Amino acid sequence: MDAKTILGNALNVSRRDVLQGAAGTAATAAAGASLFRAVEPREAKAFAYSPYPTDDELVTVPTSCAHNCGSRHMLVAHKKGDVIVRLSTDDGRYQGPQGGFGYDTEEMPQLRACLRGRSYRSRLYSAERLLYPMIRVGERGEGKFKRASWDAALDFIAGKMQDLKQKYGPHALLDQSYAGASYGVLHKSDQIEGLLGRFLGMYGCRTSSWSVPSYQATTFSSRMTFGTIEDGNEDDTFAHSKLIIMWGWNPAYTFHGGNTFYYMRLAKQRGCRFVLIDPQYSDSASAYDAWWIPIRPATDAAMMAGMAFHIFTNGLQDQDFINRFTQGMDPGTMPQWAQGQESFKDYILGTRDGQPKTPEWASAICGVPATDIVKLADLYARTKPAALKASWAPGRNSNGEQYNRMAAALQAMTGNIGKLGGCAEGVGKAWHAEGIAYPYDEFSNVWYASIKSDRWAHLVLNYPNLKREEIGLWPRSDNLDGVIPNVRGIFWQGSNWFNQLPNINKQIEAMKKLDLVVCNDATITPSGLYADVLFPVATHFERHDVALPWYKGHYYIHRPKVIQPLGESKTDFQIYTELAHRLGFGERYNPRASREYFHYDDAVDEAYLSAWWEKVQHHQGADISWEEFKARGTYKFKLPRLHVAFQDQIEKGVPFQTPSGKIEILSTQLAQVTDWTRTAWGHPIPAIPKWTEPFESLNHTEKRAEHPFHLITPHARWRTHSIFNNIPWLRETYEQEVTINAADAATLGIKTGDTVEVYNARGRMVLPAYVTERVMPGVVVVHEGAWLDLDGDGVDRAGNPDVLTLDEPSPAGGFAYNTILVNLRKTDLNHRPGWDQLATSRAHVFRRST
Amino acid sequence: MEEEKKARVQVAVAARKRKGYTPVTPDMQLGFVHNNVDCIGCRACEIACKDKNGLPPGPRFRRVMYVEGGKFPEVFAYKVNMSCNHCAEPACLPTCPTGAIFKRTKDGIVDIDSSLCIGCRRCEAACPFGAPQFDPISNTVMKCNLCVDEIDAGRKPYCVMGCMMRVLDVGPIDKIRDGSYATKAVGPGERVVRQVRNMANPELTNPSIAFVAHPKGKVEG
Repeated sequence: MDAKTILGNALNVSRRDVLQGAAGTAATAAAGASLFRAVEPREAKAFAYSPYPTDDELVTVPTSCAHNCGSRHMLVAHKKGDVIVRLSTDDGRYQGPQGGFGYDTEEMPQLRACLRGRSYRSRLYSAERLLYPMIRVGERGEGKFKRASWDAALDFIAGKMQDLKQKYGPHALLDQSYAGASYGVLHKSDQIEGLLGRFLGMYGCRTSSWSVPSYQATTFSSRMTFGTIEDGNEDDTFAHSKLIIMWGWNPAYTFHGGNTFYYMRLAKQRGCRFVLIDPQYSDSASAYDAWWIPIRPATDAAMMAGMAFHIFTNGLQDQDFINRFTQGMDPGTMPQWAQGQESFKDYILGTRDGQPKTPEWASAICGVPATDIVKLADLYARTKPAALKASWAPGRNSNGEQYNRMAAALQAMTGNIGKLGGCAEGVGKAWHAEGIAYPYDEFSNVWYASIKSDRWAHLVLNYPNLKREEIGLWPRSDNLDGVIPNVRGIFWQGSNWFNQLPNINKQIEAMKKLDLVVCNDATITPSGLYADVLFPVATHFERHDVALPWYKGHYYIHRPKVIQPLGESKTDFQIYTELAHRLGFGERYNPRASREYFHYDDAVDEAYLSAWWEKVQHHQGADISWEEFKARGTYKFKLPRLHVAFQDQIEKGVPFQTPSGKIEILSTQLAQVTDWTRTAWGHPIPAIPKWTEPFESLNHTEKRAEHPFHLITPHARWRTHSIFNNIPWLRETYEQEVTINAADAATLGIKTGDTVEVYNARGRMVLPAYVTERVMPGVVVVHEGAWLDLDGDGVDRAGNPDVLTLDEPSPAGGFAYNTILVNLRKTDLNHRPGWDQLATSRAHVFRRST
Repeated sequence: MEEEKKARVQVAVAARKRKGYTPVTPDMQLGFVHNNVDCIGCRACEIACKDKNGLPPGPRFRRVMYVEGGKFPEVFAYKVNMSCNHCAEPACLPTCPTGAIFKRTKDGIVDIDSSLCIGCRRCEAACPFGAPQFDPISNTVMKCNLCVDEIDAGRKPYCVMGCMMRVLDVGPIDKIRDGSYATKAVGPGERVVRQVRNMANPELTNPSIAFVAHPKGKVEG
């Protein structure tokens, strides 16, 4: 039986077929034949669908999910032969002596996978899997490929790389690896620690992409304010808050930590109150019974300024905390070098600019009644401890960093930093896992130019006639500083960035100018369709690794090679090692491996991982051996105390990692910039948090004349960005739709289920409408990550909002994914969901209003 | 195989006519409990179930219903999560012409012997809760069997073990109803009800399910 048939059978099973398809062994075939021999009705007893392999009859292999979702959970593979028959999740049995079926405590909870994790089997065996190297034969983007041998494909790439480096220099290849295949310690994909970055950097030809689509504004804010992105608490601390303000945060969709949502349920049971500031009444609002404050998108910093005004003018701030730990919060905490300059309090009270940032002033901008701003400020300032969780989404706006900086100011002025039940997030990175098992040395993350990630198309289309600040060129101290890179090729690893970066139509134009596009992925993607060469990559079930928690969570999960790689797929590490050999630096790139690695990776990967575990033992006091860890499948740490960011700074006086050692409301670094064009940011950024008008918003009446709606593009729960878009089980649970407020929809004559076109000057897309009272008027919502599907007129029929987004980032690098004005109209064009809707249940979303 | 099945079914139909239908009173009745309020609607339970049972798109043993209402900005939302309720008096069971549907005496689980199912879909029409799911590929009706293999192995069904918020659980329904069953699905001070808004009258089949209802999802009585 060939691989495709096995896959098809494994997935399209009725239960009676399970064994025939999934295993196909002689023994089971015999069992199948004997099944119906008796014609007498059998005494009815379970299991009625036999032959059916129960879990205990299958081989059990603990592993984990893999993608870049904000969490990391356990998966337990149940396999027969080399086929995964089903997946379950943590049930308490895989963590050593204190475990056991059902073991699930507040101290050591199970790591239960979400719907995406549970659907992995259908991703692993999907029809979209890439099984062989492919070389493009049609026009770029046309999607025509032919199968190639590994030798031919690798030689082709190696040759092209040499040509481009020789002709165009060390900038010619753009690294667009990202975290789509990440969060292992060995097979990593990202810009800093990724395998691709090390490969291209070592080759001496790499332009890197420095801004992070998800949270660059937040990263910037935390670095400026706290000097680190490790501003997060572990998820269990959330059970200890008395008030949790979810600012643009929807933990029911976007998990941040393995069990944060569950600890918040415990907090609720212990009397914690919840507030949601968001244009949408999310499932988090309903599950935590939150007070919903709808807010105009991209105006969050104004509302926060109004709250700060109320806190200052009523003396509700924690002045002792301010005096001891902050710089520039008020005139009294201004450093010597900034005496007489504007402090944050000066700005809020309007002493310099003549505009007090009163709740009324804020209300006119953000649309929240001034009374609600006052009420929330009062609640936040008086409830101790209170967690203001400043989520990433409002930062994905033009000037989004001001929202994050303003949030940090509120967290500091109320003294909620470094205290159990409080919160300084931000980025939310908490306990620091031991992250890297492959050689991370002087060759890692070498780059010859680094640009804001969303400016690549602008760069390619306008080269060489642009200024460094247009592309956010990172400064260097050598003669390459300020040199505009001539990018001629792109490498993708764990990345569907073409589908995910803003303003796709501009990217399509830029794509035409490139000489080389290489895509490593496990499945075909919209990006892959634009590649010259597709390398089939083994999924995390088909390679050996260890899974890290994602920013929160104190545990490691072993991730063995559960099954052999399908087709001819190889790991990224194998592919880059072999390419490196062909380019002459294979031994430096992968020092533990010989050339045989391309065919036999087990021993080398094992060696890297067991050496890495020694680091875990030494640095983190892991008290079990590598062999024991592998046998258990998971290792959950008990930390000496609940991990709260900056607790030592507050309790023991350890300095913050900022230049001043304080929480820098006034940023030393920003205050001392004289020439912004020579910074990576390119444009001025205030040294204290300030409300800054976004590129466009509901307050821009002129722009609204043509495009009256503000589109936001949050993360979906049924995808991790674009990953899982092709999974039928998940497609059954949602529509890719545009959510419209009921009153707006009535004005436009739109009902739920109508097909509408959403458009602006940058693009057009077609998708069904969902009409609801749960979103505020003037705002429409489309979840990011749908797979682009352009028709002949360039209209996206799948509903990918990135045909509408703007590729102009915020100065600090934050992507402006949520700063989009659009218009809507009913259309006769049909929506193409990308899968067979007729195959599903009658009411597949299962939704009703009462 | 088809011939063999045909013969088996013929024998079964004859036996069914001869014997008729005697209601089963189980020694103990298992049932589900779901917290409508605390559920975040993530549907991990649904997908765990699809994977466990190897289902193609279409049949959906467990269904999380999203309910919403109110007027902006005074809105509310909650979730009602249901699979097969393994009713005390299952409406599906007597409708089955081949006797494929049965109820276990041990724990009251209602299941379908798929080797006897002829895909007539009478049970689908009879069930007030939409539990039986027709699969056009196998031309049979299938439904939740409470992961009877897991139950027999001393564990809990996949949906329950997959619940990220720990708001779905399974247990002896009598104890769930009288509050004596220890479960994370029911929070401190919360009580369970037999029926929520827009749900069929439980008097029809006496479904083995209990809910922590949302204030807006409560029904009189």
